[in-house]
Amino acid sequence: MVTSEEISRTAKQSIAHGSPDASDMIRMEGVEKVYRTDRIETVALSNINLAIRKGEFISIMGPSGSGKSTLLNIIGLLDAPSGGKVTINGKHISSYSDRNLARVRNEELGFIFQTFHLINDLSVIDNVEIPLLYRKGSSGSERRSLALQALERVGLSARVHHFPSQLSGGQQQRVAIARAIVGNPKILLADEPTGNLDSQMGDEIMDVLKSLNQTEGTTIVMVTHDPRQADKTERIIRLFDGRQVD
Amino acid sequence: MIKHMIKLVWNRKRVNILIMIEIFFSFIVLFAAILGGVFYIDNYLKPIGFEYQNVWRIGISDNQNREESVASETSRNNEPAQPGSPQAVNSKAETVRQLAIAVREFPEVEEVSFATIAPYSNSTMESAMDGDGVPIRFGVDIVSDDFQKALGLQVVLGRWFSREDDGQQYQPVVINQLMARELFGDSDPIGKEPRRPKKGPDKEQSNEPPRRIVGVISDFRKDGEYAASENFMFRRITIDDKMEKTPNNMLIKVRPGATAALEERLIKRLQNSARNFSFEIEPLSKMREEMNLIRLAPVIAGGLIAAFLMIMVAMGLTGVLWQNVTQRTREIGLRRAKGATKNKIYQQILGELVIISTFGLAIGIIIVSQFQILKVIDFISLRVYVMSMIISVILIYALTVLCGLYPSRMATKIHPAEALHYE
Repeated sequence: MVTSEEISRTAKQSIAHGSPDASDMIRMEGVEKVYRTDRIETVALSNINLAIRKGEFISIMGPSGSGKSTLLNIIGLLDAPSGGKVTINGKHISSYSDRNLARVRNEELGFIFQTFHLINDLSVIDNVEIPLLYRKGSSGSERRSLALQALERVGLSARVHHFPSQLSGGQQQRVAIARAIVGNPKILLADEPTGNLDSQMGDEIMDVLKSLNQTEGTTIVMVTHDPRQADKTERIIRLFDGRQVD
Repeated sequence: MIKHMIKLVWNRKRVNILIMIEIFFSFIVLFAAILGGVFYIDNYLKPIGFEYQNVWRIGISDNQNREESVASETSRNNEPAQPGSPQAVNSKAETVRQLAIAVREFPEVEEVSFATIAPYSNSTMESAMDGDGVPIRFGVDIVSDDFQKALGLQVVLGRWFSREDDGQQYQPVVINQLMARELFGDSDPIGKEPRRPKKGPDKEQSNEPPRRIVGVISDFRKDGEYAASENFMFRRITIDDKMEKTPNNMLIKVRPGATAALEERLIKRLQNSARNFSFEIEPLSKMREEMNLIRLAPVIAGGLIAAFLMIMVAMGLTGVLWQNVTQRTREIGLRRAKGATKNKIYQQILGELVIISTFGLAIGIIIVSQFQILKVIDFISLRVYVMSMIISVILIYALTVLCGLYPSRMATKIHPAEALHYE
């Protein structure tokens, strides 16, 4: 049994030695993010060195404006770093084209957001199918079948034809999780997934994430403000003013 | 993906209904303008059935007849020849004969004929025939035997009027092919005597001799290139004692190169032959230009209005689509996060627009089709109608896609990370 402390130590060692480890699912070396306008230069992230191993469940914490979401966006290939190197599942993505980045996002990454980001005009099952629409070679019946399986995994198979407005917040987040896992991604990126839920629903969502991590071996990176939820993860990365402090 | 887009458009029908209505009305306006244009182009490409080049119309006004009419109202003591009386007819027939002889003396004149209505004159005479209980309407002109040669009419069956028709117990008539088909289908119309309707304003008179078809011409579109083909019948006028009234028009074929000087000489000569008549000469080519202008003016005006409306619609549509894209910023960010490339986003925005347009167009097509099915616009052929519909559909699709290009391009530029936090 590998403890979270051991994983953390190994990751730090591998970053420090600059030797990529085959078990690293996400690796960041000297990553920086600077937002520039005509007059102001804002450093959002500075010299981030991070290694997240396959199957790890980590949380990122820090005060508002510390760069948590920026870090998650860079890991999720939604934003490009100003400097440094990012490796996702062994792929150096810095030189990837829009098409290749989209393919990695589609096949390797799953996103969960604080505000769920469900499309209100689509039914639950149609929302869950969305990532599969951008995957080549999947037929309509295959998409439907995979979406039903994903909804079953989050315990929402009885709500497939409902619309998001007919569901509770917790159920909506479950739909969002089903949508994130429908394509069997290796990495789940969750941006404050319990932030809009009460503690009971938050716990339920954490249970679902924990279950996915343990049963499927999905690597999960979660941004949270809630220390109670962060404590349930294997490792906590703390940011302050764009710098990694722990 | 198409099914997904259709589902999304349908589920957002409340939002999309205004765009659909806008596209529907645009289609109706554009279709009306295109229909007019295609109708005219289609007509223009068909032969008119006569030659207008080097044909001059000499308008004949019987001043004496008019003066006598006025005089007869004021005083009956002088007893002038009453209009329609045998003396008056004899005098008129003789004058007309003299006029024809006078004009034929000019070496520049090749043919001389008479007609009640001249081509491009904006006058119409109509009648009806009985077609199995249904009145079949047609245009009529009463012309002399030389009319066919003067205007180069093409006889495709039978013959034109000739001396052979003098003193017969029937009225010879020549009809165009369209009318022959409508009255008799594929059977030979020559020698047939179609009857006039038993009721209505064109009903048969008891003392009227039967009308016998002696010939069929290819066509005669007296109002020119832009007028639709219609049923047409020529009746024969003979310059003799039976002549009911002086023909209003002399149509002469002149040799190529005839100038205005000939016009002056002709007027002088005609005036000397019939002092109580007045004459006016106008080449058919000039009348044609005026007629074409009259015909084209409403289509040009309609086209300009339609073009102006299309510009307004295009600007409005671009604005609405731009707003739509802005409202969907978070959704676009989500799709990008879920693996959509910029190109897929572009295709989605345009694809949805095409689907919305298809709904709007479908309603438009159903409605405009009714006019053809119910024969509301029966003078326009099905071919022209369908062609106009296809052109309008293509133009509306082109317009909507054009309007959607910029908002779609803007959608691809939305940064996914920012879009997901867009409020």
